[in-house]
Amino acid sequence: MSDDSGLWLLALGPAGATALYWALYRYYRNTDKSHAFERETAVEAQPVTGSDGKVDEIKGTRASRISGENGGAYRMRVQRTPTDDG
Amino acid sequence: MSDQKTPAPTAPVTGPGSPQDVPPVPGSLPIDPATRPEPIRDELLAPDPVAIDTAAAELKDGLNRCPKCGATEIRPKPGTDLLVCLYCRNEWDGARVEEAFGFGEGLDQLRGTVIASGARDIAADAASLMTFKCTACGAEVTVNTENAMTARCHWCRHVFGVNEQIANGAVPDAVLPFHIKKDDAVARIRQFVDKRRLFALKAFKEQFTPENVVGVYLPYMIVDGNASADVAGKGEIKTREYTRGTGNDKKTYYDADIYQVDRHVDFTVDDLPLESSTERGNLDTRVNTNNIINTILPFDTKNAVKWNASYLMGFTSEKRNQDVEHLRPRLEDQLLSIARAQVESSVRRYDRGVRWEQERLDVHGTRWVSMYLPVWLYSYHQPGRNGGLLHYIAVNGRTGETMGSVPVQQWKLLMAALTVGTVLEGIALWIVAASS
Ligand SMILES: [Zn+2]
Ligand SMILES: [Zn+2]
Repeated sequence: MSDDSGLWLLALGPAGATALYWALYRYYRNTDKSHAFERETAVEAQPVTGSDGKVDEIKGTRASRISGENGGAYRMRVQRTPTDDG
Repeated sequence: MSDQKTPAPTAPVTGPGSPQDVPPVPGSLPIDPATRPEPIRDELLAPDPVAIDTAAAELKDGLNRCPKCGATEIRPKPGTDLLVCLYCRNEWDGARVEEAFGFGEGLDQLRGTVIASGARDIAADAASLMTFKCTACGAEVTVNTENAMTARCHWCRHVFGVNEQIANGAVPDAVLPFHIKKDDAVARIRQFVDKRRLFALKAFKEQFTPENVVGVYLPYMIVDGNASADVAGKGEIKTREYTRGTGNDKKTYYDADIYQVDRHVDFTVDDLPLESSTERGNLDTRVNTNNIINTILPFDTKNAVKWNASYLMGFTSEKRNQDVEHLRPRLEDQLLSIARAQVESSVRRYDRGVRWEQERLDVHGTRWVSMYLPVWLYSYHQPGRNGGLLHYIAVNGRTGETMGSVPVQQWKLLMAALTVGTVLEGIALWIVAASS
């Protein structure tokens, strides 16, 4: 038996049980729901402006995505830089 | 002033009381007015000027009279924005605040903090009980503003409503009347629960009586804002993808370019609703299910009418206990989230994604209107540790949007999960055994 003989299959039982438990629990309790104000509020925005500059390169990483990706996590706050006009 | 010899003391440049000091909370006073001479005290205690006065002068005595016959027996007409007189059947509707006060206009011109009169700070010492002197018979009629806005004179049957805004901040600027009728709400709640019976708590199913649903007016601040936001971070673009090794040691590698990404967006928001009661605004799902009530937002707040307590006849209400300054951090948090959603489409070229590291918000102007919004609430108290948990099923009184929290029979759900897990594990063992 090589180390990739399919032993990972043994995780199928616990993983399946956990996934089913949480899916059903959420369906009943809806703890993950809230008002999607980002989509459901009337927002009028001017065209987005900005800049992009290459600063570095990575060679031979095994990660398929950037580390700490949060482009879609709108509600995850990052460091807040102070405003000067109060 | 030319012969002035001693110049007035100048304000310090740094330290306490200077512009470098942290500004005081708006509305707070550094001195105690009670210890000052009367003219100074009057000035300090005078109410702050209000940009938009939404108080209705004709309702100040608490009596809302039918414009046709003068009766005070007035009810909201179910499913409409109309009021109806129970004596002469005359129907009329309240003025929409949107037009009456120009709330939809000039968002990009908003500067500073504009507060409608019903959204002013709540007087800390104001009692919940308000007393009116009945003009017809002289009796005193008391209304408890914690949960009701109307009461009836026991002697002459006049109906009184709390319409005076300066009283204690309990009276909002506007109210959005119920459109979804009780039968409709009951049907929606029943349907919601019917789809969640298998693993529902046994006691919940036994006691389930959606007819006990209650129509409640919940307090919200409806906020318009004019803001700018900046975000900065890193984005990565894949330049190469290749594999190394053979057979089971084959692994995928990536090369990528890293960019510094900066974005700026100017935007306005129209009618963002914020819960203005501390309890409802607490969305911690470990201790409550208020997120259910939050989920049925938004409402068609553009159709809200000027405050008139007659709209609350037959419903209960909850009182606001949060002022504008309490809610400002939540508003800023939501404005930042909206800004992040706005810039997302501008960073699509970063196919390995972006990592925002800094964000910044400039709020140029906000406008705050206090409003009662209509919600049908069915509640079930699940006993347990720390007082148990109150589960809600909520129906939006305008759109009918329904969301709920149904208590789960924990062991039943665990059994189902374990059974499925065991079956899956059996299949896995069979495959592993067969392939070795
Ligand atoms: Zn009438
Ligand atoms: Zn009376």
